[in-house]
Amino acid sequence: MSDETTHLPPAETFDYKHVGGRFIGLCVTAIVTLLISLVLGIGNPQQFAFSWLFAGWFFVTILIGSLFWVIVHHATDAAWSVGIRRQLENISCQLPLLALLLLPLLFVAPKVWTWMAESPTHNHELAEKAAYLNVDFFWIRTAVYFLLFGIVALLFRRNSLAQDQDGAAIHSIRNRRIAFFIIPFGAIALTFWSFDWMMGLNIRFVSTIFGIYNFAGAVLAALCVIILLANALRSAGYLKRVLTAQHNFAFGKLLLAFTLFWGWIAFVQYMLIWYANIPEETSFYVLRSTGSWKVLGILLVVGHFIIPFCLLLFRGPKANARFLGVVAFWILTMHLLDVYMLVLPVLHPEGFQPAVLDVVALLAIGSTLGAFFLKGLGDSPLWPSRDPRLAEAVNFND
Amino acid sequence: MSASTSNETVTPDLSAIARPPQVLNNRGPLWVTDAVCSIVEGKTPLWWYAAISISGTFAAIGGACILYMIITGVGVWGSNSPAFWAWDITNFIFWVSMAHAGSFISAVLFLTRQRWSLSVSRAAEAMTVFAIVCAGVYPAIHIGRVWFVWFLFPVPNNYGMWPNFSSPLLWDVFAVTSYLTVSSLFWFAGMIPDLAVLRDRATTKIRKFCYGVASLGWLGTARQWRHYESMYVVLAGLTSVLVVTVTTIVASDCATSVIPGWHATIFPFYFMVGAVYSGCATVLTLLIPLRALYPQLKDLITPAQLEKVAMLLLMMASCVGYVYVYELFCAWYSGNAFERGAFWERFHGTAAWYAITCLSINLTIPQLFWFKRVRTCLPLVFVLAILCNVGMWFERFMIVTTSLLHDFLPSAWGNFHPSIVDILTATGTLGIFFTLFLLFIRFVPIMSMNELKAVLPGTQPQHGEGH
Repeated sequence: MSDETTHLPPAETFDYKHVGGRFIGLCVTAIVTLLISLVLGIGNPQQFAFSWLFAGWFFVTILIGSLFWVIVHHATDAAWSVGIRRQLENISCQLPLLALLLLPLLFVAPKVWTWMAESPTHNHELAEKAAYLNVDFFWIRTAVYFLLFGIVALLFRRNSLAQDQDGAAIHSIRNRRIAFFIIPFGAIALTFWSFDWMMGLNIRFVSTIFGIYNFAGAVLAALCVIILLANALRSAGYLKRVLTAQHNFAFGKLLLAFTLFWGWIAFVQYMLIWYANIPEETSFYVLRSTGSWKVLGILLVVGHFIIPFCLLLFRGPKANARFLGVVAFWILTMHLLDVYMLVLPVLHPEGFQPAVLDVVALLAIGSTLGAFFLKGLGDSPLWPSRDPRLAEAVNFND
Repeated sequence: MSASTSNETVTPDLSAIARPPQVLNNRGPLWVTDAVCSIVEGKTPLWWYAAISISGTFAAIGGACILYMIITGVGVWGSNSPAFWAWDITNFIFWVSMAHAGSFISAVLFLTRQRWSLSVSRAAEAMTVFAIVCAGVYPAIHIGRVWFVWFLFPVPNNYGMWPNFSSPLLWDVFAVTSYLTVSSLFWFAGMIPDLAVLRDRATTKIRKFCYGVASLGWLGTARQWRHYESMYVVLAGLTSVLVVTVTTIVASDCATSVIPGWHATIFPFYFMVGAVYSGCATVLTLLIPLRALYPQLKDLITPAQLEKVAMLLLMMASCVGYVYVYELFCAWYSGNAFERGAFWERFHGTAAWYAITCLSINLTIPQLFWFKRVRTCLPLVFVLAILCNVGMWFERFMIVTTSLLHDFLPSAWGNFHPSIVDILTATGTLGIFFTLFLLFIRFVPIMSMNELKAVLPGTQPQHGEGH
């Protein structure tokens, strides 16, 4: 054993009794908002369908984004992110629960994906795409997305927990192999998923970069969540031995890099569609530039790109956890707006019309996921305590 | 609130996943200096003369072809209706894309502190600059009347001759010249401390003078290093951003149009990953023979580093494969007869063999790098890397020219056959590239000695102390 091992911090375990009040609060919120959603949904199934899709996709992006960071960690044999990896695993493992929470979409799908209610014999555009856009194949694909990502997330976590027991490097190697396996399939699956759920809201619209646009948002959102979670755990006295100011700086650099990435992808999609001016494509942006949507569109450009870019450009503030937390919260809010702008203009083409169900759906899914996440947080050490790269992670110097 | 902790014994096992050393055989700083400087200071090998004679000849023939084209007109090229953009723009995109990978490997991996890239970054930066020079050959001459090339620059504004600022072709000029300026600065800035080493070791007055001028009076004081490090980070940041912006603009040359096969929102991403893919292939093509020709480099350019370049190539090739899949899918999904027709003709028309060759290579050859046995067999990697670049050339041609061959009017469809001038101009750019690269390895340090020394065992303040 190397000399470095003697300096490794002992494992920490989260005791959720310390946040018992908040946990109960989350449970109560989850139950109440789920019930309210049910009642309001019966009254206005179309609004429910859109609100549920909006909230559902927001959390899909966070969970898939978290899984992406686990994949990147293993595929690149990274060391710096060992301290935060367990939380990424914990978040991505909520995918099966999210699948259950999104089951209501099965019953209201034609309200939101209107092509489902149409017949290819009466719709020429649908007829051209019927081999792909048909109800059975749509739900089979959706099941495949959840199964693929869900199983991979659980496998990563299983190997990670097994390593906590024996410290064997073989678990890291196994996870690396899984990461290599999932990269191509995951990229294809996430792209088709975003085509199905988001681009499928308007079957005339086609953009080849749309999958990457959703991927960029997902990765950025997951990064924001993990920064906020790391801050919360550190303020509760955890993770301090494995996450230092150097890690904050790395978070800050990644946040800047993926803010730029999102900005780049969003810009080229807009610019190329605007420039070519083909009606099938411009309809996407025309809808989102109508009435009050235009104001939100401008807010998205400024809030999702310009403000975080300016804030994160300088080196000093990036090492400050509190500053990073504020920026991460802001970007996450902007990601929420981004998803909102993808979904809700289809329901309200005349302009922005906030609905109670939008908030309730968000709270219902979010608090349910949050409660289960918090409940499971104490089931394993807060970081992979016997990961072979832990010493490197603790000594990380950016 | 206090954190609860357990008292488990921590027994990490590093042996199975140990990181390979940056420099093999425990070489020290002095050895690194001697090994790198000996290439510049030693006797010029015979193979170098032979190689530069061949590459110089190709470059001269290419230059003669360009002169002939300027005197005679663009009719000497094979470009004709409907493919007015053919080998000229294909080669421009091929070279400018290759240039991006050099900056990516160097600047982006520097900013992300990927130390494995230190040995290959200088050569990659050189590749960037020389590839831009090769790319720069085409924009001026493909306009036909090269004496009007100054219309592309902002100068005519003073005369009220407003160029079309909303044209991506004009953006190209700004983008490529900016990129050439910044990447040259980045490359040169990285060399300053190493040029000073050559100056200090120089045994002749001419050498001392030349390297003295080139090293800008570098003394290696703490103050100079502080300024240098700050400048280098800023240049790395600028270069990284420029990689993305230039790629976007080059991709916009095609993607802003409404031509089926050209207009796709994924094009900037497509060009970006394709660029890094072909650049990684070029880095491997250049460095594998180099370490064989200069055996002292074998401890500095290690198989593990080349393996990482191969893995990066695999990653980017897979991204290129992803784009192929979604371009084809979206062409079908659009339901647009012209989009579907363009891709159908791409694989069935008279120029189908270009697309088939492109896909056959780019979807299969890089995937061999999934196997460690392939990645670590350097002669095989060398051959595969060349094939990857061949595949990328065909990809550029497939995008640029075959899309033009089959546009909206079937009666206007045609074919393209390159002329001998096309071919010799293209091989001429290869000659320019290799001539410049041969001069580079003979006259400047081919890797960053100062950065390499900083990662040798025992040079980091915290090394071995476990804190």
